[in-house]
Amino acid sequence: MINLLKLTLLISFFYTQLNYSQEEKNIELLNKEIMDTSDEFQSEVFFKKAVSFFIQKKWDSTLVYSQKQLITSKIKPLENFTHFLRGYSFREKNYFYESEKEYNLISNKFKFYNKVRTILGDLALEQKQYKKAITYFKEVLSLSKTQLDSSYIKSSSITHNLGLCYLHLKKFNESEKYLTKSLLFQEQKRDTLELIGSYGDIAILYYEQYKDDIAIPYFEKAYQLAKNSNNLNSRYTTSKNMAAVEENRKDYKKALAYRKEMEQWKDSLNNQNKIYAVAKAEKEFAVKEKQKEVDILHVENELKETQRNIFLYAAIGLLLTLGTGVYFYSEKIKANKLIATQKENLDALNTTKDKLFSIVSHDLRSSVNALKTSNSSLLENLNSKNIPILENLLQKNSAIVNGAYSLLDNLLNWALLQTEQGYFNIDKLRLFFITEQVSYNYKPLLNQKELSFENTVTKKDIVFADQESLKIVLRNLLDNAIKFSEPNGSIKIYSTNTEENYCNLIVEDNGLGMSEATRLKLLSDSELLAKKENEDIIGTGLGMQLCRSMIKKNNGKFNIESELGKGTKMIVSLPKTSPHG
Amino acid sequence: MDNINVFIIEDTVSESNTLVKVLEANNYNVVATATNFKDALETFYKSKIDIVILDIFLNGSPDGITFAETINTVPNVSKPFVFLTSSTDRKIFERAKLTQPFSFLMKPFNELELLYAIEMAVEKFYTQEDVFLSDDEDTVISDEYLFIKKFKSLKKVLITDIIYIEVEEKYCNIYTEKEKFVILISLTKILNLLNNSIFHRTHRNFIVNANHITEIIPSDNLILLTGNNRATLSERYKSITKQFRLLK
Repeated sequence: MINLLKLTLLISFFYTQLNYSQEEKNIELLNKEIMDTSDEFQSEVFFKKAVSFFIQKKWDSTLVYSQKQLITSKIKPLENFTHFLRGYSFREKNYFYESEKEYNLISNKFKFYNKVRTILGDLALEQKQYKKAITYFKEVLSLSKTQLDSSYIKSSSITHNLGLCYLHLKKFNESEKYLTKSLLFQEQKRDTLELIGSYGDIAILYYEQYKDDIAIPYFEKAYQLAKNSNNLNSRYTTSKNMAAVEENRKDYKKALAYRKEMEQWKDSLNNQNKIYAVAKAEKEFAVKEKQKEVDILHVENELKETQRNIFLYAAIGLLLTLGTGVYFYSEKIKANKLIATQKENLDALNTTKDKLFSIVSHDLRSSVNALKTSNSSLLENLNSKNIPILENLLQKNSAIVNGAYSLLDNLLNWALLQTEQGYFNIDKLRLFFITEQVSYNYKPLLNQKELSFENTVTKKDIVFADQESLKIVLRNLLDNAIKFSEPNGSIKIYSTNTEENYCNLIVEDNGLGMSEATRLKLLSDSELLAKKENEDIIGTGLGMQLCRSMIKKNNGKFNIESELGKGTKMIVSLPKTSPHG
Repeated sequence: MDNINVFIIEDTVSESNTLVKVLEANNYNVVATATNFKDALETFYKSKIDIVILDIFLNGSPDGITFAETINTVPNVSKPFVFLTSSTDRKIFERAKLTQPFSFLMKPFNELELLYAIEMAVEKFYTQEDVFLSDDEDTVISDEYLFIKKFKSLKKVLITDIIYIEVEEKYCNIYTEKEKFVILISLTKILNLLNNSIFHRTHRNFIVNANHITEIIPSDNLILLTGNNRATLSERYKSITKQFRLLK
């Protein structure tokens, strides 16, 4: 009787072990299926939560949420799944009866219906309802191999469990049949753990029938296999079995040895369990630490982010400051450059002005001096009553005075122009009358020099210009034309309309002409002519400068065409339309 | 045709003498000369004057401008005037410019410039610009006179002296009691500018001074005028007879 009691104990040991080893392998695949289903029903919040707790192996929570899911939702396929989850959880919590109830609620349309039947078999076995278990197992075994595979069911373990059921019912023949069959499978698969279980179970089967000769080698086989494995449970069970066997054989010495070994494994097992617990605690601690670390990292990240933002803004700010700095610096450099060039220009202008003053005063002095000497000779001749020569001298005097006057006139106009003090009013002008009025003053001079003069500007030519400044320009141009003409030369004033918006007024002579260099000098700004060639003819250049400035102020253009020895064309282009539209 | 009466306001006698010489050489009639603002104003109201030539600066102050400003404020008294100046000082000019219409003559000036300035002043004053300068016209019409350019200078004809005008293409023959002369003016312009209660069109080519009509003979299409002048009355313009009280 003692033996039998011990044996029962042993059997249950093997059974549990076998069942779990089978479960572990399929659980991952199952989890995956469940996850997929959960993904399919995103809107079902409770189901989703239940599944997530299920995977985390938090059975109580799984039960709570699955209950909620069952109450709130009416989705049929999910119901089966939910019952499955609940059944599994109850079983894990060792509420076998509740578990069985849940599994029974699952309809046969459920994807893992066969699996459910298998589990029900397992449950029946666990609750020692062997006959019930046998019907479940047989039902499942009758299925085809593919059906079994698709439900993640191992036929070998079912066969083994069937054998176990028969063993419990003392139907040794049936038991032997199934156990040997599962042993054959397992030997093929070479799964050490399962083999140990099977050898053990078979050994017990024979032992129960008092076929010790057959049983003992199986026990030993199991023991040897377990010795080589590192599974403590197996080693404990096999050594325990061996101890029982030796005890029955009355070989107490060996039995004691086995018993000791068993005790050792038991301790180890306990230790291992402790270690597991410690490890679990450690793990939890580690998880907590990790969580802390994560929190710290999170905070650090936030800190870093704010720091980065601050840095970014600071960088942008700095960049802006730098940009504006560079901008203002470049502006300053530009301004400096401008000032420098302006200074250069001013210096040049100032030099020009100084030069101009010296030339003008020199000119005036020589004019007055010439007048002085001429006047004294005039007086002399008057005293000696040399009348015929007087007219000649007077004409000479008047020429000198005219020259000096026009120089002074230019000087005055130039000063007015520079200081913007003069009256300036652009108006509609008929060119013919202006040219007539200006040339009228030169009639005596032209006659004296025996120059032919022609004004062919038409009355139709209308320009927009300031009358007085235009007169000054014309006076200077005529002055020059007369000055650089040989006796018996000819001077023409005429107009052309080659451009759409400009009327060209041309003063042409066939006098001395000028070199290209002189021409360019006359057209360039702030250049005064030095008195080199033609000592008594070439003037200051003030007149030409005045012309250029005046024409520019009248929105006109100025050009010179000339050839040495052939003559000069002075071309003044004036706008035909009012600058104000 | 009469000479134009010019009034000279100039404080430098030698300059006014030069002016007088040039003007008289060109058949202008210098009515008077004045050397200060007070005399000038007095003489101006006393005399029959057609144009004023005045120096901006009289004895050192811009009284010339004040004079122009003064005569401009009295309606129907103001006459065309030309400023004489030797400087183009901007401030002075800005002030002088306000005395519209503004014409000026820069010293020193020659004969042509003077005559031109006078013509410009007349044109601007009677707002009939571009008359004397163009080849198309030669007459400016005021309420009282026709100012006609004859050669280099201007002449005037009292409008009430005109008996009738005969249009001949772009010319107009003017008949007065004393003379007959030709002016260049468009028919439309002369019709617009003459007082139409006195001058009536009687024919495509005739404009008649109603005050000089002595007799109208509709049957002969004839209008008899003073001084044995005759004008044609065409069918189209016969309605003018209704405007006169006829003796029956």
